[in-house]
Amino acid sequence: MEIISKTLSLQEKLNILADAAKYDVACTSSGVDRKGKKGSLGNSCAAGICHSFAADGRCISLLKILLSNDCVYDCKYCVNRAGNDRVRATFTPEEICQLTVELYRRNYIEGLFLSSGVYKSPNITMEMICRTIELLRTRYHFNGYIHIKAIPGASPELIEKAGYLADRMSVNLELPTKEGLSALAPHKTQRSILRPMRQIQNGISEYRLTQGKEALMERSTGNRYLKDTIFDTRQKPVLSGTDASLLLSSESADSAAAPLSTGKAALSGQPPAPEPTVPSARQAPSKERQKPFVPAGQSTQMIIGATGETDFQLLSTSQYLYQQYDLKRVFYSAYVPLNEDPALPDPSTAPPLLREHRLYQADWLLRYYGFHVQDLLDEQHPSFNTLLDPKCDWALRHLELFPVEINSAEYADLLKVPGIGTKSAMRIVNSRRSSRLSFEHLKRMGVVLKRAKYFITCGGKMMYSMKIEENFITRQLTGENSASNWEIDHPQTYRQLSLFDDFHFDRQPDTSDVVMTATGQL
Amino acid sequence: MTIFTCSSDFESMMTCIYDAWDSHLGYRNVRLMTEPVGNYELFCDYRHVDLDAAKAERVIHSIRRKISPSAYQLVYYCAMSHQEDRLDIIYRFLLYGFSYGAKAMDMLQEPAVMAAFELSRRVSREAHAFIEFVRFANVRDEFLVSHIEPKSNVLTLIAPHFSDRLPSENWMIIDDKRNLAVVHPADAEYYLTPLTKEELLKVRQSEQEPDPFVDLWIGFFHAIAIDARKNPRCQRTLLPLWYRKNMTEYTQK
Repeated sequence: MEIISKTLSLQEKLNILADAAKYDVACTSSGVDRKGKKGSLGNSCAAGICHSFAADGRCISLLKILLSNDCVYDCKYCVNRAGNDRVRATFTPEEICQLTVELYRRNYIEGLFLSSGVYKSPNITMEMICRTIELLRTRYHFNGYIHIKAIPGASPELIEKAGYLADRMSVNLELPTKEGLSALAPHKTQRSILRPMRQIQNGISEYRLTQGKEALMERSTGNRYLKDTIFDTRQKPVLSGTDASLLLSSESADSAAAPLSTGKAALSGQPPAPEPTVPSARQAPSKERQKPFVPAGQSTQMIIGATGETDFQLLSTSQYLYQQYDLKRVFYSAYVPLNEDPALPDPSTAPPLLREHRLYQADWLLRYYGFHVQDLLDEQHPSFNTLLDPKCDWALRHLELFPVEINSAEYADLLKVPGIGTKSAMRIVNSRRSSRLSFEHLKRMGVVLKRAKYFITCGGKMMYSMKIEENFITRQLTGENSASNWEIDHPQTYRQLSLFDDFHFDRQPDTSDVVMTATGQL
Repeated sequence: MTIFTCSSDFESMMTCIYDAWDSHLGYRNVRLMTEPVGNYELFCDYRHVDLDAAKAERVIHSIRRKISPSAYQLVYYCAMSHQEDRLDIIYRFLLYGFSYGAKAMDMLQEPAVMAAFELSRRVSREAHAFIEFVRFANVRDEFLVSHIEPKSNVLTLIAPHFSDRLPSENWMIIDDKRNLAVVHPADAEYYLTPLTKEELLKVRQSEQEPDPFVDLWIGFFHAIAIDARKNPRCQRTLLPLWYRKNMTEYTQK
């Protein structure tokens, strides 16, 4: 392997290590506004900027690469597992810096997303990541966005050092339950994943406090008009190590909020694994401490469909992470079969794209619409309806709250209507001050009447005379959504029929055709 | 019906609005258009308005002060649109703006306000798309050149972003449709300038040299897609084909 990796060109290395990194879903460049500086390259924009869209329709925002795919771990789902026979490559820090800076100048990318397989040991890998981004920030004067992975098991000093250089850090949870993790990722433990997560959280809030901000990250501005969002019950992080462990043991009494342990234990109210004690978050000298620490917050990722977790377990875990670890985002990655293993689903399984889509929809409901997991799912209904989006599904189960009167309802109530989003709800609230709104106005403001019409009135009247009756509305909504749902799950099978090119026209004549022509049969 | 016409730069448009207002003909009896006027209508009186910097300045000042700075931004975005009726849309919006003040921005029930809101939204979306999709060619490591063919005149809308992002680089973005360019010398202010055919040709020739990072980027672009999730329809929705005309990863193989 060593011999091969020495002869690889930069192009080959880039292709190998981009290919190896592509299953990581987080590619956002959002969360931090930073102005450019003379003499440096780059700035950062809080809304995030996509620069291209790949053939799978996912945005390309950051240069998403691995530092190395030469991994000592043997996680069963991973394409880079030690047991796989693949070409292994490792970038040098200079190569990464040069690639980032040159691609950034040409406006191809928004920054760097550096992850890595565990090269030799977690500490050696984290050390290399730190060295790379330090070089990028100091010698190459790169002022753009940097997202890095904290390698589980790396020492706290290295993670702290990385936090001062990166904009966002993430530690992948991969699988929400302990059983799943020990079955598929035998070298990782929940402890080793949660420890750096807590450390980063503490570092962020400590930095924020020194800047005179609140300890907890800002959320969508619309949330201040909502009562009782998931973020209102966030735990204030406690800064010293012993308190941190106390914090978690007190939470464990609340069984619904602690799904991180095994599913069964959470239901029966047993305490989850005790929180590893975390040393004081930041130990750098005070001058260093003035620098922003992971200003864009941290994120994580979970794999969907590799093990048997329900949507309820997954989403409860997300809510728990938003509340207890103050994560900025949780990403969901539909499991794409890459390896054959008895512990894994069959290699011919299609990625559960619709399920992933439903989880993202629900994730938005948690972060922007004031919903809680318990509103959307429960133990009796642990999975999302495949035919309806989570908000429609919720609304159909709560028809007693509808119809909502557009000209007088509160912002929070408008948000609960299927077909009304945060932007259109704000437009409704602002514009109805001057005069009444009609359905025609709503349409132009961006309300999706196709869904909303069953749940709203304008001036006391519904759009058409319809009964607010569960079966009727369900039938109407599922009829309208079935085609688009099918397309989400089968992106490649869709084909427009045409009169002129038949399915077999591109077939090349083979030898039997030649023989048939020669013998006069054709 | 009296129709006021003017050339299509921003200041002329503002002058035109001043004169239409000042004519006291009543808003029902006037219409505003930018030149060239395609079809002249019967029973209409066409009046050409010449640029007058003082009048334009007064209109801009009143919009900012009597309505709001964000109304001025809305008007500016509308003016950068390629739509033929943009000047009339701006004028109808300002009628509401000057009588209701800052509140007018929220009065989306009024067709005139909604029209201006939708137009500016369309322009700002396009401008944002070009912030994302501009591709620079690196010429001899000395300067960066990009060509775009936007529908709206987005150059002045995207230039501040790139000037903040690449402050110490020489770069230019050329609007091939309008023969306009934003030029930014390293560590200096950018400026907008028209380009002649010869200048354009000269720039085009200098871009012919091969660039190793183009190949690296294209290799990365193809490696990062997951085959099991291939979805060209989704890709087309997020990045419509007409944007791809000047994008490295779609035009070069």
